[in-house]
Amino acid sequence: MMSFWENLGRRVIQMLTAFADTIVFAGKVFIRIFRRKTYSSAMREVLLNQIYFTSVQILPVFLMVSILFGSLLIGIVFQLLKEFGLTGFFGHVLMGLIVTELSPLLTVLLITLRSAAAINTEMAVMKVNREIKTLEMFRIDVIDYLLVPRVINGIISIVLLSSLCSIVLLVSGTLFSWLIFGMSIDVYTNILLNATNFSDILIALFKCAIYGFFITLIPIRFGLRASHELTSIPIVVSQGMVNVFAAILIIEVLSLLTKLL
Amino acid sequence: MTLSREFKVGLFIGCTAIIVVLALLYLAAGKGVFENLHAFTVSSKSGDGFTEGMPVVFSGFNIGKVQALELNEKGIVLIKIKIPDRHVKWIRSDSAFILYRPLIGSARIVVNTTNLNSPPLDEKKIPEVIIVNDINDAIARIEPALERVTQIADNVERLTSNLSDPKGDLHRILSNAGKITTNLASKKSLVEMVVSDEESVKALNDSLKKLKDITTNVDRILTKVDKMADKTDSEIYGKDGALPQVNVILKDIVGKLQKLDKTIDNINKISSDTSEGTKDLHILRSDIDDTLKTVEDAVKKLDAIIGLKKAPEFKVP
Amino acid sequence: MNIALIKEYHEDMPRRQAQQLAVEYLERVDLGHIAYKRNPALNPEERFCGMLLRAAMVKDAMILIDQPFKIIPHLKDIQFITTALKKIDDLYLSCHIYDYKWMEEKYGEL
Repeated sequence: MMSFWENLGRRVIQMLTAFADTIVFAGKVFIRIFRRKTYSSAMREVLLNQIYFTSVQILPVFLMVSILFGSLLIGIVFQLLKEFGLTGFFGHVLMGLIVTELSPLLTVLLITLRSAAAINTEMAVMKVNREIKTLEMFRIDVIDYLLVPRVINGIISIVLLSSLCSIVLLVSGTLFSWLIFGMSIDVYTNILLNATNFSDILIALFKCAIYGFFITLIPIRFGLRASHELTSIPIVVSQGMVNVFAAILIIEVLSLLTKLL
Repeated sequence: MTLSREFKVGLFIGCTAIIVVLALLYLAAGKGVFENLHAFTVSSKSGDGFTEGMPVVFSGFNIGKVQALELNEKGIVLIKIKIPDRHVKWIRSDSAFILYRPLIGSARIVVNTTNLNSPPLDEKKIPEVIIVNDINDAIARIEPALERVTQIADNVERLTSNLSDPKGDLHRILSNAGKITTNLASKKSLVEMVVSDEESVKALNDSLKKLKDITTNVDRILTKVDKMADKTDSEIYGKDGALPQVNVILKDIVGKLQKLDKTIDNINKISSDTSEGTKDLHILRSDIDDTLKTVEDAVKKLDAIIGLKKAPEFKVP
Repeated sequence: MNIALIKEYHEDMPRRQAQQLAVEYLERVDLGHIAYKRNPALNPEERFCGMLLRAAMVKDAMILIDQPFKIIPHLKDIQFITTALKKIDDLYLSCHIYDYKWMEEKYGEL
C-alpha cells in the first residue's frame, strides 16, 4: 500500500519537475532569442538552412495538402451549414473555426510530423556522435548555435505557413460559397469582413508562434537527453514526439480558454 | 539556373509576408481602420449599459462604435461615438439614438433616422440617448413572480421546520399512529379498539342480536302485507271488481249522451220552430227530465261504486 | 566546413568569407578537395589535418596534440605531422604534442 503511494508521489514529482524544467529551459531559450550576440553568422546560417528545410522544401506539398484538405473541409462545413439552415453563421464558422482554429492545427500537425521528428533525431544523433561535446570544446554555445535558430525557424515557419493555409482556405471558400450558396464574391467578402475580428486573428497568430516555439523546443530537449549509445535514439525520439503532441493539445486548450475569457 | 538556398528562403519569407500583410491591410481597410472618423457625442443620465467599443447600428448594420465614456460636471454621461466617413450620411439632425439592451446578445446603440434629407447632425450638438431595456422589462415582469416564489419558499421552510419540530403536528400524528397500531396489536377486535371498553362491546353485541329479531318480525309483517295487497288487487281488478263495473256504466253514459245529442238537435229544431208554436214544449220537457234523471241515477251508481272501493284499510297485525 | 564554423561563430565572420578562408587553409596542406566532405568520408590523414586546422582557427590558438599516432595509426614517423604544422605555423601561438614514452622512437630527433 505504502509503495503505491510512494510510486504515485514519485511520478507526480517527476512530472512536475519535468514540466518545470521544460518551462525554465523555454525561458532560457526565449531570452536568448532577444540577445543580439546570439545572431552570429554561424547561427544565421543554421537558421537559413532550417527555414529552407522546414518551409521552402515542404511548400509545394504543403500547398497541395492545404488545397485538397481545406477544400474538402470547407465543402463539408458549408454543406452542413446549408442543410441545418445555419447559413447566417457562415462567416463566423469560416473565420472562427476554419481560419483561426483548423488552419493552425493542420499546419502544426504537418510540420510536427515532418520537421519536429527530424530535429529530435538529429539532436539525438549529434549527442551520440559527441558532436555536442566538440561544439562545447570550441566554446560554441549549444543553445545559441543549435536551439535558437531551430526555435525561431519553428515560429516563422508555423506563422507563415499557417497564414498561407488560411489564405488558401479563404480562396477555396470563395469557390465553394459560389457553388453551394450561389454567393457572389462581393457578398462573400462582405460577410467575411463582418465576421472578422482582429483580436481573433492576433490570437491565432500568437498561437501559431507558441506552437512553433514548442514543437521545436521539445524535440531538441528530448534529443539532447540521449546517452552516448545508439539504442537511446529511438527512445528519446518517441518520448519527444509524445510530448510534442501533448504540448499541441495543451496549447489548443489554452487558446480556447483565452477566447472564452 | 539554380537558385541559391538564401534566395529561395528570402523569396518564400518575402512573398508570404507580403501576402499576409496585404491580406491584413485589406481586412483593415474593409473594417474602416484607415477611414476618417467623425466624432459625435450623445448624452445619457446613466452610464449603465454603455461600454467602450459598443457597436453603433443603423438598420442592422454596424456603422461605428463607442469610443469613450465621460461624466460631465452636471453628472450627465457623455458617450463619444466614432462613425467612419462612408457611414456618416446616416447620422442626421433628427436621428434618434437608442440604447438597446436585448435579453440575449450584446447591447448596442441603434440609430433611427426618419428623414434622411434632414441636415447632418452637428458634431457639437449632444442628443440624448433613449434607453430600451429588455433586461429591465424582463426583471420588472419577473419581480412579482419572484415575490411569489419567495413566499412559497417561506412556506416550504415553515413546513419543513414544522416537520422537523419534535413537538410539531407531524410528530404528534406519528406518535398517535404509533399508539393506534399498538392498540390494534393488543385488542381482540376493531370495535374494542375504537371504543376502548369491553363492556360496551358486549352491549353492542346484545343490541345487534335484538335488531336481528326485530328484522325477522318486520319480514313476517311484510309477507302479510303482500298477501293483503294481492287480495285488494283481485277486488279492484278482478272479474267482479269495481273497475269492470265502472267501465260498463261509462259505456252506458256514452250511449245516453249520444241520445242527448240527438235531443239537443231536436231542441234546436224546436227552437227554430218556436215561432210556429209551443204545443210540443211539454213533451220535450218531460223527455229532458227523463234523460237528466237517468244520468243522475247513473252518476249516483258510479259514486256509490267508487266510494265503496276507494279506500281499503289494512290492519297491520 | 566545420573549420569555418569557429570563425563564423566567434568572430561573426560572414559564411562565404569563413568558408573561403577554410578552403584556403586546407589548400595549404594540399587538401582543398576535402572542403565539402563529411567526417566519415575522410581518411586518417585528412581527418587529422581537418582537426588541426579547426584547432588553429581559434584566435591565439595553442595547439595540443594528444597521441597523434592513435589518430593516424599507419604513420611510421612524425614527418607528416611536422610538415602540416609548418605549413600553418602562422595560425597558432604554440603547439604541444603529448604521447607515451614508448612511442619516442617515432618522433626521432624532435
